[in-house]
Amino acid sequence: MSGAARRAPGARREAAAGLLFALPALLGLALFVLGPFLFAVAVSFTDLHLGSPLPVHFVGLRAYRRLFEDPVFLRALVNNAGFALVVVPVQTAAALALALLLDRPSRLRGLYRTLFFMPVVFPLSLVSVVWVLLYAPGPEGTVNALMHWLSLGHWRARDFLHDPALALPALMLTSVWQGLGFQMIVLLAGLQEIPAERYEAARVDGAGAWARFRHVTLPGLRNPLVFVVLITSVLAFRLFDQVRIMTHGGPDYATTTLIYEAVRAAFDRGNVARGAAISVVFFVVVLGVALVQRRLVRERRELA
Amino acid sequence: MGGVLLAAALAVWAPPPARAHAPYALTVWFHAGQPGERRVMRAAVDAFNAEQDAARVRLVLIPEGSYNGQVQAAALAGDLPDVLEFDGPYVYNYVWEGKLIPLGGLLPKRLLRDLLPSVVRQGTYAGRLYSVAMFDSGLGLWGNRRLLERAGVRIPTDPAGAWSAAQFDRVLAALARHDRDRRVLDLKLDYPGEWLTYAFSPLIESAGGDLIDRRTGRTARGFLDGPGAVSAMRRVQSWFRRGYVDPDVRGDAFVSGRAALAWGGHWNYPRYHRALGRDLVLMPLPRFGPRLVTDSGSWNWGITTACRRPRLAARFLEFLLRPRWILAMTAANGAVPATRTALARSPLYRPGGPLRLFAVQLEEGYAEPRPRTPAYPVISSAFQQAFRAIRNGAPVRAALRRATTVIDRNLRDNDYYPPIAVVRRVPAAGGGR
Amino acid sequence: MRRTLTTGLRHAALLVSAAAFLAPVAFLVVGSFKPEGRILADAGSWRAFFPAHWTLDNYRDVFARVDFVRFLLNSLLINGAMVLSGLAVNSLAAYALARLRWAGRPFVLGLVLATLVVPFEAIAVPLFYGLSAIGWRDDWSVQVVPFVANPLSIWLFYVFFAGLPRELEEAARVDGAGVLRTFLTVVVPNARAAFATVAIVTLLFYWGMYLWPLLMTAGPHARPLPLAIATFYTLPPLRWGDILAFGTLMVAPVLLLFILFQRAFVRGVAATGIKG
Repeated sequence: MSGAARRAPGARREAAAGLLFALPALLGLALFVLGPFLFAVAVSFTDLHLGSPLPVHFVGLRAYRRLFEDPVFLRALVNNAGFALVVVPVQTAAALALALLLDRPSRLRGLYRTLFFMPVVFPLSLVSVVWVLLYAPGPEGTVNALMHWLSLGHWRARDFLHDPALALPALMLTSVWQGLGFQMIVLLAGLQEIPAERYEAARVDGAGAWARFRHVTLPGLRNPLVFVVLITSVLAFRLFDQVRIMTHGGPDYATTTLIYEAVRAAFDRGNVARGAAISVVFFVVVLGVALVQRRLVRERRELA
Repeated sequence: MGGVLLAAALAVWAPPPARAHAPYALTVWFHAGQPGERRVMRAAVDAFNAEQDAARVRLVLIPEGSYNGQVQAAALAGDLPDVLEFDGPYVYNYVWEGKLIPLGGLLPKRLLRDLLPSVVRQGTYAGRLYSVAMFDSGLGLWGNRRLLERAGVRIPTDPAGAWSAAQFDRVLAALARHDRDRRVLDLKLDYPGEWLTYAFSPLIESAGGDLIDRRTGRTARGFLDGPGAVSAMRRVQSWFRRGYVDPDVRGDAFVSGRAALAWGGHWNYPRYHRALGRDLVLMPLPRFGPRLVTDSGSWNWGITTACRRPRLAARFLEFLLRPRWILAMTAANGAVPATRTALARSPLYRPGGPLRLFAVQLEEGYAEPRPRTPAYPVISSAFQQAFRAIRNGAPVRAALRRATTVIDRNLRDNDYYPPIAVVRRVPAAGGGR
Repeated sequence: MRRTLTTGLRHAALLVSAAAFLAPVAFLVVGSFKPEGRILADAGSWRAFFPAHWTLDNYRDVFARVDFVRFLLNSLLINGAMVLSGLAVNSLAAYALARLRWAGRPFVLGLVLATLVVPFEAIAVPLFYGLSAIGWRDDWSVQVVPFVANPLSIWLFYVFFAGLPRELEEAARVDGAGVLRTFLTVVVPNARAAFATVAIVTLLFYWGMYLWPLLMTAGPHARPLPLAIATFYTLPPLRWGDILAFGTLMVAPVLLLFILFQRAFVRGVAATGIKG
């Protein structure tokens, strides 16, 4: 009886403190994440245009209908998807390879890790500007010269960023260079969490290197791998800085992306309704990618 | 002791001179253009600030890549500067949106009469003048005299002698016969989007089409997808198809002598002149119909509705339009001086000057400003998309139809841009001096 | 024999990869010390990475052409304010979610998990419109305040706090300490690693931010470094030496920070992967 009476003011204080502690974050998330997102959904059903003196109308699904009739927008979707389809497997495999190479005590491990991670601290805008120079057209461009050397002289100098076939791959390479270190660190940490006994047990069972990788390493890395694939896929759909700086979506829309189109619409052309509709589509796509991957992971777990 | 110190201090200290009016802070947005332009602009602002004490100009350089976005966002935030520079064809859109005030009563008549007709036409919307310019632009065809003469073609030097479309095709063929890679024409395809509208819509107009029905401003149907426009763009497409166009990824097709002809403007002159010297010739664009049409328009100045002291802002514009500053600016960027007084004194543009053709085009009415409608930004972007498709071999009529549909849809969406009574706070009495 | 062969291959693979990762960085730094004319001319050979003539002209140019110090201070102010206020706001919220019993808890936890999946790019446009419409743009605060509350930071703190033993806090509470006192004197000192992780992750994600300042800043007075380099690159005349010097200057402080606190960086990134 007396215990409950004593606890009551404590519990009330705790309840007050809980709300108070969470309040700034709650306000921030509501005002700057949830609110704007709901606002985007609302605006996407109107004809809101920056600067227009005309009254704003509710126009239903018009903005969405027009998006899916617009070849440039469809091209942006295709570009994002293509980017994801290439970069996600390539970058994940490369990050895993580097992590495996480094998953072994060595004096140089710290140094290598530093080198691979270094580009991650470079702002993408700086990376983009530097790579514009690396992709310089003509045989004196660094990448052209490297290709020439690797191909034993068969490579003819190309203008990567103005070539419809090469511009998107060029952006992919830049992005992989910048982002790979992040994934590698995550996977390396995952590798180090796998208990050595499991490898020992597999070895005792007579498993070879490949079998050990297949049955010990990969299952042990499941969570970090899922995370890496997910975050790389989302990044692929967020692609913007490189496009704005290196190609402006060109040549002939070969590198335009969802976010680039959203910014072009809302900021450069003042068509806020269209920009909002693209933002919503973008969110749905990202959510879809996340759900599909979770689904795949779950099914595999059930099978196993 | 203390008293002496105090007396000394009082003797040294004098109250600051009372000022009737603190100078008005006049914010001016200027596009971060060429270094020479920036230098002249800074010097002009310093001189203006030194010359009078009613206003103090604060110059803000805005990066060119996102200029319109910044203007729109600032307007939304109630943050527009007093004086705004902008790309000429945007003026109608800004006026319709209520961003600019008319300049008619603010600038002296003598100055308005001195402006080139092309500048006045560019700045006029619904019968009132909203913008002025320090310079206008010139669009033409640069030629390499040595290569042209080797191919044995006539070199036109004035608008009346412009090549017809058929003649131009024969010129291309003749030049290609003497060229190793047959790529004889540089169309500056590496320039950003607005270039395409600026450079190639005059061909459509010359052929009897247009970007939009200029009389009513209510449709592009029958104009941008009409027979004139289709035939003009088919001809341009044929230049690509026959391999006459140098892709010029390195930006040196003309200066290296690879291409004999370059579509271009006044801004190319310094570099081309350095590279070709006396071999450089300036010619009018080909005409695609009975009459030559070329383009005009460049960066313009206006006073925004956010300006509380329009007369002070006008004084600054008047200052910029003095021959001294116009000549300094056009010496830095090579553009056509926007007043007749300055034009007569310009070594490049006075009669006999190497760029005289550009001045003639502007003065004699060959230069047609881009359509004077608030829909211009949409029209231009639709045309650019069509041009890119056509360049890549898409069927011309379908590409232009699509652009027409986009433009007409935008006109409909905006109720055909009805005249909006601009509700603007009238500056308080004494607001202008 | 076979073992030395695989070891050799392993080292060769690492060496080649390391060279590929290092090359663009070396290109940037070395190029910044070259005379303008040599940069493109050398770009296609080994000379790209070894300057024959050193010069500081490019650095002099950067300071003469733009107000680099202003951009640097803007970036430091924006990121400093964001990290410090973010640590306070998000750790408090996470503590409330992990340890305290209060009415709105499940709702707020749901909000955190829901906003965790909203990428910033999905709300950039409406946020740009909304904040501009109320006249809040073109200053440093608009580059900080919207990002202080961060669902990922809350989540990282939440996981860490949930894993702390309760005994310490209970002891403090029995001694009569209030909730805030307990948090500050018992929880925070034991969660230094979490604070370091969140600080580093925040810095990594936001210090390179380009889209938001592009939408929200007009003049140079509030422009941070990542936008400033992109603007500098489009500002004629195009001088690659100056651009590379600008880039070297802007990345040097973070690179230094990274090398000094490398372990913390690696731990921070690994934590997002394991807990995220």
